[in-house]
Amino acid sequence: VILSADQKDAVTELVNIAFSRTAAALSELTGNRVELAVPEVSAHPIAELFPALGQFVRGDVATVHQIFGGPVAGDAFLLLDVEGAARLVALMTDAGAPTTHMGSSAKEVLTEIGNILLNACLGVFGDLLQVRFTFAVPRLHLESLKSMLDSILIGADELRHALLVGARFGIRDSAVTGCLVLVLGVTSLEQFIAAIEEWAQRAESGV
Amino acid sequence: MAKILVVDDSALSRKISKRILVEAGHEVDVAGDGLAALEHYALQRPDLVLLDVTMTEMNGLEVLRQLRALDAQARVVMATADVQASTRKMAADLGAMGFIAKPFVPRPLLDAVAAALATPGDHA
Repeated sequence: VILSADQKDAVTELVNIAFSRTAAALSELTGNRVELAVPEVSAHPIAELFPALGQFVRGDVATVHQIFGGPVAGDAFLLLDVEGAARLVALMTDAGAPTTHMGSSAKEVLTEIGNILLNACLGVFGDLLQVRFTFAVPRLHLESLKSMLDSILIGADELRHALLVGARFGIRDSAVTGCLVLVLGVTSLEQFIAAIEEWAQRAESGV
Repeated sequence: MAKILVVDDSALSRKISKRILVEAGHEVDVAGDGLAALEHYALQRPDLVLLDVTMTEMNGLEVLRQLRALDAQARVVMATADVQASTRKMAADLGAMGFIAKPFVPRPLLDAVAAALATPGDHA
């Protein structure tokens, strides 16, 4: 799947709106200003996701996985490097110095952060694209990037694609790099892109 | 009607805001990044700048700072999806005269532009 320049611009702007609102939610949660860079968007066959993800996260990652359904259905993943995830948890809980060893309460906090961020992002997608999503309960995984990807790939048919949305953000002088990955079947991906094009046309024409 | 410079790194957002402003009778030029915006401003001195915040290379708050250094009377309205209270305050502290949230809706955009244009030139 290759996005045209217009499709990529529209997807990037939509994601920028969604991530900016998500950043505002994170700012409210942490009580700190969130600096957000322009998101980077690309589409990949799922088997080619590993090198593309490497520019945002490496090594051990904290992944919040949320399955979503509706006219566009798939899997949403929020991936954070483990150090960044630990810093987020420390900011949220005033727990002092961040630690990458996460107890059950830290995992619960991180899952809730992921839940809020993924819902904020997908919620904006749904509102603007006029698509209703349903959400399953999110799950947290702490493992290597390779293991996480292997788990996505198990049972995946080769027609699945990934829309990779990379975002770099900073909170209170702490750089946290993460990305959002939407894994969609080819039909859902086509519907998603068609919905974005319709949104762009509606917005452009003012109808 | 006013001469307005729209600064946004998204071609889609430039098209949308330009359409709304042109339909309201304004004359609109566009710039896709901060440097192009500063160059355009220095040469053309538009009546108002509609400025995105989250942009590559130079973000909108830095563009705002440099615009106001270039012209202390510059009328700038921020147009961004970054709706954090801190962003709004930073923009106001730097002299922005309005702040509207994306996605663009015609009435709030035109109201913010009209309010900024109606403010006396010595607003700073």
